[in-house]
Amino acid sequence: MSGDWREQVESLFAQADGLADGESKVRLLEEAVRLADTHKDVGMGYRMRDALIDAATFGGFPDKALVAFAWCRGQQKKDPKRFDPEEMFWKQKWVVGRIKEFPHITRKQIQDALDDVEQCFKATDSGVRAVLKMRYQAAREMGDAAEEVERLWNAWLETRRDHLTDCRVCELDDELDHHADKGEWQQVLRKAKPILDGRKSCAEIPHLTLGTVLYPLFKLGELEHAREIHRRGYAMVTKNREFLSTVGEHMEFLALTDNLSRGLTLLEKHLGWALDHPSYRDRFTFYAAAAFLLERVLAAGDRDVVSLRLPKTFPNHQADGGYDVRALHAWTLGQARDIANRFDTRNGTDRFAKLLARNQVLAGEVRPFPIEKRDQ
Amino acid sequence: MDHRFQVSLRGVIDLLSHHLYSSPGVYVRELLQNATDAIRARQLLEPGHAGTVRLELMEKQDGSPPTLLFTDDGVGLTEDEIHRFLATIGESSKREALEARRNDFIGQFGIGLLSCFMVCDELLVVTRSARGDGRTLEWRGRHDGTYAVRASEHPLAQPGTQVFLVARPDMAHWFTATRLRNLASHYGGLLPFPIHLTTGQGTERLDTSGAPWRREYDSASERRKALLAYGRELFDTDFVDCIPLRSTAGDVDGVAYVLPASPHFNSRQKHRVYLKHMLLSESAENLLPDWAFFVKCVVNANALRPTASRESFYEDDALAAARESLGQSLRGYLMELAREDPRALQRLIALHGLSVKALALDDDDFYRLIIHWLPFETSMGMMTLADYRRAHPVVRYTSTLDGFRQIAQVAGAQGLCIINAAYTHDTSLLEKLPHAVPDVQVEPFSSADLPQSFDELTLDEREATFPLLRMAESVLAPFRCGAVVKKFYPAEVPTLYSSDAEGAFRRDAERAREESDDLYAGVLDSVMAASGSEPAQLCFNLHNPVVRRLAAVADRDMLKLSVEMLYVQALLLGHHPLNAQEMVLLNQGLLGLISAQLGGDGGRGGEGSGGAGPRGLH
Repeated sequence: MSGDWREQVESLFAQADGLADGESKVRLLEEAVRLADTHKDVGMGYRMRDALIDAATFGGFPDKALVAFAWCRGQQKKDPKRFDPEEMFWKQKWVVGRIKEFPHITRKQIQDALDDVEQCFKATDSGVRAVLKMRYQAAREMGDAAEEVERLWNAWLETRRDHLTDCRVCELDDELDHHADKGEWQQVLRKAKPILDGRKSCAEIPHLTLGTVLYPLFKLGELEHAREIHRRGYAMVTKNREFLSTVGEHMEFLALTDNLSRGLTLLEKHLGWALDHPSYRDRFTFYAAAAFLLERVLAAGDRDVVSLRLPKTFPNHQADGGYDVRALHAWTLGQARDIANRFDTRNGTDRFAKLLARNQVLAGEVRPFPIEKRDQ
Repeated sequence: MDHRFQVSLRGVIDLLSHHLYSSPGVYVRELLQNATDAIRARQLLEPGHAGTVRLELMEKQDGSPPTLLFTDDGVGLTEDEIHRFLATIGESSKREALEARRNDFIGQFGIGLLSCFMVCDELLVVTRSARGDGRTLEWRGRHDGTYAVRASEHPLAQPGTQVFLVARPDMAHWFTATRLRNLASHYGGLLPFPIHLTTGQGTERLDTSGAPWRREYDSASERRKALLAYGRELFDTDFVDCIPLRSTAGDVDGVAYVLPASPHFNSRQKHRVYLKHMLLSESAENLLPDWAFFVKCVVNANALRPTASRESFYEDDALAAARESLGQSLRGYLMELAREDPRALQRLIALHGLSVKALALDDDDFYRLIIHWLPFETSMGMMTLADYRRAHPVVRYTSTLDGFRQIAQVAGAQGLCIINAAYTHDTSLLEKLPHAVPDVQVEPFSSADLPQSFDELTLDEREATFPLLRMAESVLAPFRCGAVVKKFYPAEVPTLYSSDAEGAFRRDAERAREESDDLYAGVLDSVMAASGSEPAQLCFNLHNPVVRRLAAVADRDMLKLSVEMLYVQALLLGHHPLNAQEMVLLNQGLLGLISAQLGGDGGRGGEGSGGAGPRGLH
């Protein structure tokens, strides 16, 4: 009997191992975890969660990664000899790096989790740079005072690299946000060049980078380059919900260049991800872009209804696929606004309200540029 | 007159051997490539020129390192061209420069020669150009960077090029008859002209007879047989079928072989690719669209760009277009199977369902053609979607394996046919159905939907089970679980526990919280507070004899204990791990039942002997 369930766990694990990152893989590992827990096998539960944290992190389920890690962290504290925290340092970084994306987690909890990382890393006399980067990113995303963000940015980049530092490519990609925040478009592109040329890559790079540089390229008027980046980049993110916010960036670019039909195709294809995505930050990026897109459709003024294949889980789902543009716009904008409110309330700042207000700026910048090569 | 290279040749050789090439054996490929280019260039000048390549291995009696003489009757080089290839060598210290120069004849010639320095210290090239003044020139180059160019004292009778390589002592094992035969056949097996190999044992002609997929065959079945045999020889695999490949973009043609077993997802198929009939790589990965991992290919391309290492194709628009049209070849094959030979298609789906499904998700026409042939696991056994729809007007599915397990037995007994769509792509495929086929209803199904199909109680039964229901409600409330009593099949199942996916996640979070200290316990409380799960439900089955008897039990302690145990049992049957509180129920409940057995007479829980805790000890 007991051999039986163990074999079952191993077989779930092997099946998951054979899958690409995504929902199926996560579900299989969750089941393996539950089976191990049902039989009170802590060692097996730990091992399966170890794999689940990876799958959930890279498959777009940061909440599941968080729950699995919390359990493991509990075991580490009870028996650090058996469950060595150091072996999970990278996973701890992934998980804690994302908890700010859940508006129901308080500021204090975020700070405490970051302090916990710092304490853990300190015990092995390493990881200072990694922690500083996480603190910089938390401060940036929660809209803390510019001087504080700037201070952490400098501290991060001045600190020596070590084995807990993200790879150079990932760090380079993260540096781009800082320049984009300041509108330093040239600098974004200069730094991104090795990534864009395909000379440097990593698990999620260039996928993310190709979304980040779209707006800078648009601002600089490099539309042909932007079009090529959009084509290449969107193809890389279309299958994994982990890239919801990058899809949002592509959708915004399509609206900015007046490729409305293409934009609506992205909306119908990926709305299902946004509806139940655990990362509210990613949902926000997507809904804000969707609201901008639908605003453009309204501005075009030639139709009140669009035909879309939206998922059943959409609260206003229409069986005939006909959607009132005004209502859809109001709904997406409402979602974006709700999330922005929740974040800003939690953070005690107005960063998300400002991000949403950016849509008005974008409306004045639209510059039609066809993505399809027109038939001559 | 001696010259000196402008660069440190050591550095270039180091770059080549450590960073560019996978093995010193590629020197044979590079020389063959040069010979091929030269012969092709001469054929442009003199249509009808056949072309021959000769390899002559001269082994020394005294045991000193052997010499290889590599001869072609191609176009040869003029003095000017010799200086140009030397210039190329000079520029070759950067990978990017190498890549760029690969595309012109002279550049390639120089880089090709450089690779020889991986196996020898000195090279002698004797050449006579078909375009020049008839002089024969020789170039002697050394690995230290010195070289000399002069008119040769041994003029060649015909245009062509000879390369002499004296093996470096530590590399002599790359200069044996067997190695040369293998390497030359390996890289040049598809060349449309002969390669002769002369060794101590005499001269032989290596088998180079062009691409087998371009040959004429007497019949389609002869062709298939020959190509499958070729596939077996190349890949040492008995393939299921072969599919012709053709793409105008990149000028690609070849064969795709259907693998006899499902490949592992992560192991992207490695294809054998030739560039202008020279073997480029046995492990090219970027040739086919992502979904097409059910085949292994051998192809020749004439107009794709190789990477600097010449071991795969450069990712550019031409390759993207070629990939698209090779994908179309495979899609065409599958479409034809669906129309002409559905049984063969079903066999293929059994082996390579993942590929077929991935394509169907992206391609609406293909989807419509094959969706009904796809087999699904259901609560009533395996069936194709066509069979399913014949018997059941509404397509119902669960998207998780856990969810399916919870309902499969009961649903089957109730005559409900539910598809297990937990396997990769299945949920997306089913959700696509209403968009592709008009008038189909598709609905997700979970254990929470099951009780709707159950029979309601009669008024009498309702009254009779009311005490049980009230007790269950109060026992289960602390576990965020409601209770109902209904009638369903199979009768052996006493209860059914149902919860939505959020509910399962919530239970995971509860268990994690039990293991956590302040920090993460607080975080998890926030996570649980935000989760929008419906309460779970325990449904009692009045068809079940135990439940019927339980409804009649008057002893409230016994009733409570039984409900608790049925709850725990339902959780365990549904693979829901118990949280700490539920573990307490289980442990106390077991003790309670034992003490009821020991204390009571004949196992009927009377006189307060049943119940939780230490009551049996008094």
